[in-house]
Amino acid sequence: MISVLGDIIGNLLLLTGALFLFSAGLGVLRMPDTYNRIQTGTKATTLGTILVLDGLAFLHPAWTFKLIILVFFVMLTNPVSSHALARAAHSIGTH
Amino acid sequence: MIKRIFIMMMLALMALIFVQLATNYTENTSLTRLGSYYAENGPREVGAPNLVTAVVVTYRGLDTLGEVTVLFISAAGVGLLLRRTRRKADDEDLETGDRAEETTGTHKAASEIVETATELLLPMVMLFGVYVFLNGHLSPGGGFQGGAIIASGTMFLLLALPESHISRLLVALTESLSGFSYVVIGVLGVIMAGGFLDNRIMGLGTYGDLFSAGAIPLIYTLVGLKVGFELSAVLDRFRKDDTGPV
Amino acid sequence: MSPIADIPLSLIVLCSGLGLVLIGLWGMLTQRNMIRMIIGFSLTDTGIHMVMVSIGYVTGGTAPIINAAVPMSEAVNRVVDPVPSALVLTAIVIGLGVTAVMLSFAVRIYKARKTLMIDECTESRW
Repeated sequence: MISVLGDIIGNLLLLTGALFLFSAGLGVLRMPDTYNRIQTGTKATTLGTILVLDGLAFLHPAWTFKLIILVFFVMLTNPVSSHALARAAHSIGTH
Repeated sequence: MIKRIFIMMMLALMALIFVQLATNYTENTSLTRLGSYYAENGPREVGAPNLVTAVVVTYRGLDTLGEVTVLFISAAGVGLLLRRTRRKADDEDLETGDRAEETTGTHKAASEIVETATELLLPMVMLFGVYVFLNGHLSPGGGFQGGAIIASGTMFLLLALPESHISRLLVALTESLSGFSYVVIGVLGVIMAGGFLDNRIMGLGTYGDLFSAGAIPLIYTLVGLKVGFELSAVLDRFRKDDTGPV
Repeated sequence: MSPIADIPLSLIVLCSGLGLVLIGLWGMLTQRNMIRMIIGFSLTDTGIHMVMVSIGYVTGGTAPIINAAVPMSEAVNRVVDPVPSALVLTAIVIGLGVTAVMLSFAVRIYKARKTLMIDECTESRW
């Protein structure tokens, strides 16, 4: 019973994460401006990746610790890289 | 126009050959004779669980020596082509454009966020690279992969903190010593055991341990260090404001 | 669903590898910017590596690592061929070395001519 509940929650989280990742791609395609594209891409992909990894942790409970470390890495590197990108875009002079 | 037609015709002919290749392709259902020999006798003779490592380092060790040589030659070529020539003040016609670009360049110092993240992440990237080449015989990985990870850590450092200096003397010294020791171990294999780069010069040890499979951890450590420092030196040459020694 | 499920996995990888080779060749032949030609070369390289790896695949095989998951006794029946993977390992490193030398050539030509289009560098052509 617990495993069925865990499976359902895990699959729901995976689906939500995939939805967010798809919306990130859609946003990067459709946003009018460089800075808009940067902020859409980063926020949605970070959340989507975290949700996908959480769903995976529910489906495979043995890997939970490693997946938490992965989530930590993603949260550490994604915002920093988008910050560096936006700063570089600003210093070149994109409006 | 004629050129375009010619190019399209050539690509169409190549596509025709590739289609012939793809339609007559049947997947293997069992290993080839060479593959089954390596799968049966590899773990026992070499003592390494990773069969690809056993093939690359011991069974085909001479190919790896050629690969290390090609990397060394290409790194030397890059070092020759991108040599610093800014010392003389009378090299005006070559350097005027560069000097103008330098003074009006858009080169800012890195922000504090990027610096902090670099200080946190760089040791982890280097540690991961060392882990990959130390465990080359137990899990997928090896010297070349670990060296590439170390070089990507260096590129991370160069991109995030552009004023950081890498001591070119230390890098060149480590790389040369590693390459030289690699060849020495290969020759020791000829003298003390079966052939070039034979890993039985050191004891085989327990199967699956970290320090097992004879000389493979040592060989892959040397290869990983050599490749990592070599690629870092190549990346260092591509920097825009070259202010180090030649 | 069944015609799609019957296509062997290595055939898909083989076809995408051959497709990448064709795309890279087209890029090398038609583009005038030097960096794009180098990118085309890198694409061709990657395509060839995919073709070589796909040839070593055995149906239903797994990675050639003999530990607790694949014991020594049944290794012959279950692993894929390790030799093409080893060859591709070497080939990737060599492709990297060649690309590094090509890029440094491009840097020097840009410093000497201020342009990256190869139409400006035709004085050796006869």
